[in-house]
Amino acid sequence: MDLPKQIELIFRENTPLAAKISDEIAKLTPKVIEKTGLDKIKIMNFCGSHEWTTTHYGLRALMPKEVELIPGPGCPVCVTPSSDIENMIKLAIDGYRVYTFGDAFRLPTVNHYKKDQIGSLAMAKAAGADVRIAYSFVDAIEDAKKDNKPSVFFGIGFETTSPSYAVLFAKGKVPKNLMFYSSIKLTAPAAEYAVKLHKATKRTPVSGVIGPGHVSTIIGAMSWDFFPVKYKIPAVVSGFEPIDVLTGVLVILKDLYTGDIKFTNLEYKRVTTIKGNLYAQEKIREVFDVVDAIWRGIGTIPKSGLDLNEKYSEYNARLQLGLKEKPWDYDLPPGCRCNEVTLGTAYPDECPLFMKACTPARPWGPCMVSMEGACAVWARFGSSQRVLEIIKEVKSNVLGSSG
Amino acid sequence: MCWAVPAKVVSIDSDFVATVDLGGNTLKKVAIGVDNLQVGDYVMVHAGVIIAKLTKQQVIENIKFIAEQIKEVAEIEGINPDEAVKSFMDAFSYILKDVEGESSGG
Repeated sequence: MDLPKQIELIFRENTPLAAKISDEIAKLTPKVIEKTGLDKIKIMNFCGSHEWTTTHYGLRALMPKEVELIPGPGCPVCVTPSSDIENMIKLAIDGYRVYTFGDAFRLPTVNHYKKDQIGSLAMAKAAGADVRIAYSFVDAIEDAKKDNKPSVFFGIGFETTSPSYAVLFAKGKVPKNLMFYSSIKLTAPAAEYAVKLHKATKRTPVSGVIGPGHVSTIIGAMSWDFFPVKYKIPAVVSGFEPIDVLTGVLVILKDLYTGDIKFTNLEYKRVTTIKGNLYAQEKIREVFDVVDAIWRGIGTIPKSGLDLNEKYSEYNARLQLGLKEKPWDYDLPPGCRCNEVTLGTAYPDECPLFMKACTPARPWGPCMVSMEGACAVWARFGSSQRVLEIIKEVKSNVLGSSG
Repeated sequence: MCWAVPAKVVSIDSDFVATVDLGGNTLKKVAIGVDNLQVGDYVMVHAGVIIAKLTKQQVIENIKFIAEQIKEVAEIEGINPDEAVKSFMDAFSYILKDVEGESSGG
């Protein structure tokens, strides 16, 4: 069997190990509670894939009642501003070919184009516009080369996706008829924003963070060192299989117990290093500038985005097509609480629209669209908070402990 | 959008594009986002770009890291750490045997 498949087996289909680690978590938790005086140990993840694993494999049900796993700002699709999608729709209607990842195809806008008729790129395509779903920037380039039609690539993503754009720009492989509209976001500034928000309000502060494995593959695990240093919070860069996430929780508990939270931990050693992918970092620096960016439903977070630098301005759709930035206004549909879900201040099923007006088949808010949106994950895999509360109550009554 | 999948490099087509096998002979052209890529390398592919190489030595390092955590927690709990690690490694033994036996990829 191929090595990649073996790796999946090692970290995914290993029930005895999962049981062992969750047992260790159960035993360590009361010691941490006693030593730190915390009532609750809140651990935030910053990647939609971590939320997917946590929910899909039911890892919350394995946690003691004092350990709470919450999703943070970890889905680039969820935080893409409505105005960006509206700009893409306008370009598509005006005759440009728009390439988009499948994740963003159904993202709903707040302001609809042409008398409430078009509120997503999917609807623009249905209306006859040339909107094409691309697997990658490479595929879009190959497709755009076939004719000379003016085209725009809707460039969304976090640091993980950035190299796919940067390498091709740096190598001079992007055809002149393909412009780029950057809506790239940077994870660390938003992660810090979310943690500060929890700290500044009366909510339970975040006690530990599970850093995004593949973002860290690019930017390096050391990028999360500010959490231990500045906020005295342990940070663990974890992989995406259940064993990885469980180990991440165990490491955070151990660090909280020992008080040794000076160093960035690195659980995902099979893919991620302390310094990250230096080649990719060099290409990103060569092609992009760090800019202030708008996060949907949240507003502007300083230095949290990337846009093409001056050298590549001829490809910059915002500049070339005069797509002016509008001042940010609240940009979620009425009743939608995706911004709170994104910041970890509300669970998906606390939104009154969840699985009522907003479902995976007919998403009302952005977090219900992508498979990495917390609402979409919870909708598909049923991680209802109420069910978890029942599980915890049963555990508490029957076992008389946190186990 | 942060999910990456493991794949094997089938050919290097230029200094910026390679063809990878995503499994089941599903071939895909992807951008090269790492240094010194070779045919036969195992890699992680994300949104059409290779973001990392993957070797069996790294996998073993990963397992050792988890073993070290188990050991340290056992020490906190007053349990014999060597026994805790042994039972942990037993859970991996049959898989490790296969990984060690892999002929390529690292």
